[in-house]
Amino acid sequence: MTLTKPIVLAEDNPRDAELALAAMEEEHISDKVVLCHDGAEVLDYLYCRGQFKARLKGNPAVVFLDLKMPKVNGLEVLRTIKADTNLRAIPVVMLTSSREERDLAESYTLGANAYVVKPVEFQQFLSAVKELGVFWGVINEPPPERAWSHQ
Amino acid sequence: MESATNHQAQAPPLHDDVRKLPNGSTSGVAASSQRIIRWFQALTIEQRVLTGFSLVFVGILIISAISYHNTNGLLRSSGLDGRSHELIQLLDSIDAAMGEAEGTHRRYLVTGEQAYLEAYKRVIAQKPTFSTYLNELTKDSPEQQRRAGELNRLMERQVSVESKVITQVQERGVQSVRKMALEGAGRRELDRIRQIISEMDVYERQAVNRRVIASAASTRDTIMLLAIGAGLQLVLLASVYYLIRHDIIERRRVADELQRRGELLEAANKELEAFSYSVSHDLRAPLRHIDGYAALLRKSVDQSLNEKAARYLQTISEAAKQMGQLIDDLLVFSRMGRQDMLQTTVNMDQLIKGIQSDLRLDLHGRQISWTIASLPEVKGDPSMLRQVFTNLLTNALKFTSTKPIASIEIGVEPPSSDEIVMYVRDNGVGFDMQYAPKLFGVFQRLHRADEFEGTGIGLANVRRIVHRHGGRTWADGVTDKGATFYVALPKGGIQG
Repeated sequence: MTLTKPIVLAEDNPRDAELALAAMEEEHISDKVVLCHDGAEVLDYLYCRGQFKARLKGNPAVVFLDLKMPKVNGLEVLRTIKADTNLRAIPVVMLTSSREERDLAESYTLGANAYVVKPVEFQQFLSAVKELGVFWGVINEPPPERAWSHQ
Repeated sequence: MESATNHQAQAPPLHDDVRKLPNGSTSGVAASSQRIIRWFQALTIEQRVLTGFSLVFVGILIISAISYHNTNGLLRSSGLDGRSHELIQLLDSIDAAMGEAEGTHRRYLVTGEQAYLEAYKRVIAQKPTFSTYLNELTKDSPEQQRRAGELNRLMERQVSVESKVITQVQERGVQSVRKMALEGAGRRELDRIRQIISEMDVYERQAVNRRVIASAASTRDTIMLLAIGAGLQLVLLASVYYLIRHDIIERRRVADELQRRGELLEAANKELEAFSYSVSHDLRAPLRHIDGYAALLRKSVDQSLNEKAARYLQTISEAAKQMGQLIDDLLVFSRMGRQDMLQTTVNMDQLIKGIQSDLRLDLHGRQISWTIASLPEVKGDPSMLRQVFTNLLTNALKFTSTKPIASIEIGVEPPSSDEIVMYVRDNGVGFDMQYAPKLFGVFQRLHRADEFEGTGIGLANVRRIVHRHGGRTWADGVTDKGATFYVALPKGGIQG
């Protein structure tokens, strides 16, 4: 099992990012992780613009989205992805501290593929991130490129 | 309020005046009106309006009665005027008739012509009619009646004198009465008749005049009374209008105030919601970091970590976890306070069964004797009530964990008219009754953290939910013997 496509991790908090990367490190998939510090960077990556202008074309294996982020928040990024025919096939996993019912409801309504509440306990957080990374980055077969664009 | 205090402030000096001048006078009136005002202020707005309208109604009745009385008086007076005029005409007729009777009678005596006698008899024939009318038209006035009686007698006498003379003529011839004829037989009576007729005429005309003056005065008085009455009615109606208007304005003000407060409350609630949202999101992150970096630290210094340092790191992790639990519990507590409530019928038997099945993992390795009565259906929010009994059963399990065999009883008190009282009883560590009032407070704990874990929010949640259902909670306990927690819910669900 090798990871071919990158994993996009949107996380504005550098500590959370570091902890998540530490978890991915244990599974040796951290080198495939693209870290974005806000929603605008995620969209820049997906649309190959700004600092990601020169990146290799192609959609990531999965996008891990925090809800609360500066500039463009997680729900807005989710809405943009699921409204774009070229992007909507990308699996999106909400990875957040919020357990609020309305966040859950809105995420699923907008088409999130999973919703994971970051556990407070580090061991649980560690295993959650590792499992998510392995499942969506390695086990899960990503959709074929431009899977929905031919419709 | 303001006006009430004013009246009270004015009251004592008026009382003094009353003592000085007990009978009547303006200050007596003022004191009694003061009393009326105080009585009036004790009434509710409905009673005041009713009183006002009753006074208006009574006023209208009085005005109607006065109008009726006055109109009657005027009608009676005009009826009397009619009779007076008839009487005056009758007197004229009698005067003329008696004069003509005397005249024809005398001519008959002088000439002996039968034609005069016939004419005389025709005139005399009217006399009974005159008498009848005279009696009829004078019966309202004793004085006129008296004169009418005398007039009647005089007429009788004149007629009887004249008829005697006629008899004499027919028996002894015209010559025997010549002297009498020249003088006029009933001349004396006729003069007297005319005098009385004139008296009656004058009297009747004066009576008419008196009545005209009296009814003019009475009409003027009545108009005055009616004007005053109408003025009073207007004042009363204006007062009632003022009262109603005042009340409406006051009610509108209260409604506006309520709405304003409602909006403030809503804003405060929104703020609270935003606050707890941000607590839920932002407060968790640093905790996760504390725990995470402690773990990373432990990992990176694993070899050189002594026992003491390992314990410190362990404590840091546990403290972070505990705070995480506290935040979660507080969020539930806050949500229970603002969450919309359902009102459905809740089957308590099924609810308890569900909770027992949720808790079965915690029961592993425990010996528990359950006594569960058949519970009634209650009105309320199923998920909230589930939270209540989950908390109570979790507590019962927690505080019996030191006993070899835990005994937990769920029951219901004998039915009362307005409440359903259910309880959860255990044989656990119990509590001292002097701390009972603290049990249901937020963050109130009766045991040290190393005895029994917990955040001290569970029973606060129970009380909050039960209060939102319009119910009550309380507890009985004996140290080391066990505790009983009661939940009383109103029978018909929350009202309003």
